[in-house]
Amino acid sequence: MLLAVAIAAGAWELYKALGPPDGGDVFGWRIIPKTNDRVMPHIWEMLAEFGDPEVRGRDTAVWEAMLGYSWYTLRMSLAGLLLGGALGIGLAVLMARFRVVERGLLPYVVLSQTIPLIALAPQVAALGGNWGLPKWTWAAALAAFLSFFPVTIATLRGLQSVPAASLELMDSFAASWWTTLRKLRFPAAVPFIVPGLKLAATASVIGVVVSEVSLGLRGVGFAALSYGQKTTSQPATVYTAVFAAALLGLIMFGLVSAAEAFVMRKRPTEINT
Amino acid sequence: MTDTAQPVHPSVDARGVAMSFNQGTAEQVDALVDVDLRIESGAFVSLIGPSGCGKSTLLRLIANLIEPTAGQVMVNGKDAAQARLDQDYGMAFQQSGLFDWRTVTKNIELPLELKGWGKAERSARAAEMLELVKLADRGNHMPWQLSGGQQQRIAIARALAAHPPLLLMDEPFGALDEMTREHMQSELLDICAAANTTVVFVTHSIPEAVYLSTQVVVMSAGPGRITDVIDVDLGRTRDEDTREDDGFYKKVTEVREALRGGDHERSTHRSEDR
Ligand SMILES: Nc1ncnc2c1ncn2[C@@H]1O[C@H](COP(=O)(O)OP(=O)(O)OP(=O)(O)O)[C@@H](O)[C@H]1O
Ligand SMILES: [Mg+2]
Repeated sequence: MLLAVAIAAGAWELYKALGPPDGGDVFGWRIIPKTNDRVMPHIWEMLAEFGDPEVRGRDTAVWEAMLGYSWYTLRMSLAGLLLGGALGIGLAVLMARFRVVERGLLPYVVLSQTIPLIALAPQVAALGGNWGLPKWTWAAALAAFLSFFPVTIATLRGLQSVPAASLELMDSFAASWWTTLRKLRFPAAVPFIVPGLKLAATASVIGVVVSEVSLGLRGVGFAALSYGQKTTSQPATVYTAVFAAALLGLIMFGLVSAAEAFVMRKRPTEINT
Repeated sequence: MTDTAQPVHPSVDARGVAMSFNQGTAEQVDALVDVDLRIESGAFVSLIGPSGCGKSTLLRLIANLIEPTAGQVMVNGKDAAQARLDQDYGMAFQQSGLFDWRTVTKNIELPLELKGWGKAERSARAAEMLELVKLADRGNHMPWQLSGGQQQRIAIARALAAHPPLLLMDEPFGALDEMTREHMQSELLDICAAANTTVVFVTHSIPEAVYLSTQVVVMSAGPGRITDVIDVDLGRTRDEDTREDDGFYKKVTEVREALRGGDHERSTHRSEDR
């Protein structure tokens, strides 16, 4: 983990040292990034940026402000993940229960993921405004819209992965469908649901960051945007927001991994999927 | 469950049972035709026959996991469907089918949980069953921490936990080595004698069928049917000496010939002795 970070940082600085300062052309396309300090600041400059005051003349440092933004974004991401997870699992259960629902709904579930979040934001804002919901729930809803999908697909697959012999066993106990779901299908699906939730965790952060921009919520995404506008004066500042967003993604992922370690602590170490 | 009067009904009574899969389509398979089978309470009956002759199908019909396309299956004097709802039988398969996420004890408690037993009752019964299958110290283990034979014993304990009068087993020892297998056979006999359980047991092994059974039902394929029912009168108490007994060998030979006869459409002497 630390190694990966070190390698990424090393690659950045190496390219900055070796690459052309004004970028380069490949077959007439400007695709080789410039390495001057405005486009690619030194990593230590970015880190130093955390210590600078956020707004000149005031005494809140960037890191303090960023901590506030991050906390706000993290809470919305968590809400988005919980909402998306519940929605995803609920949909999958419905689809597993009623074949008709699966056939009718699954195409729309897949289709839903092709709608860009930006296009959806105004609708959600309008709805949320109508119902008088606080603004942060709008972002959480948009994040859930991104994060429910991997959970649905993973859960559905897990619920259907149960061996026929186990289902017959529950049948021989004259267990109802819901009992079979609780005692057999759902526990058997957990090893499938967890990877789905991991994808959902990072998707939720992305969803919140993007929504912040379109909804004007003061989180990490908002910070990235507003810092980006002053790149000319302080090019490294915007990267503090990038760092924060990346860290949030890792934290969310870590939370799910921790939950996994807890839930799976009694399972066999080798899982045959 | 706790009838005071001795059951007058046979444990299993199948009359004119036929089973065709995908009936009416091009892929129709006549798995069983014209099966009549009566199993008295307390009997140990083995089903033996070539692969695909419908042994598992017959067992699943008795368990009411599938419905026959013709005929009727009665279990303990009731319709098989009612017997399933009443949990009149327990079941064990070739794969132990234990749930990975439950401890051994919780696996045994599963049928009791589904029947709505109280917590204390459940754990008392599970402890009792663990004692019976000689794995008393393994209650808190996870199933995957046990050997194949131990898992199979837990599956049997689970099948018997709710005191079912009938036990249905489909090649339960099929995956075990010969030594473990013989050991498990003796244990199964002890367990079933202690609980006075009727058993229907599917197997591919002739010695296993003879050693365990009071009756061996010989089946043949294409389409599946019963060709012979052989009584095995080796007494109820069987031990390691039984396997070297002359009577044992005679029965093994008899079953083997019956199996062969089934394939040759019973050409010679064994014409109609049922
Ligand atoms: N669900 C099913 N759908 C279609 N055909 C089936 C089904 N189950 C069993 N059959 C067919 O019924 C026949 C009997 O199958 P069954 O499983 O009862 O055989 P078996 O005697 O248990 O064989 P084995 O000893 O190999 O386990 C076979 O021809 C099989 O292909
Ligand atoms: Mg079979």
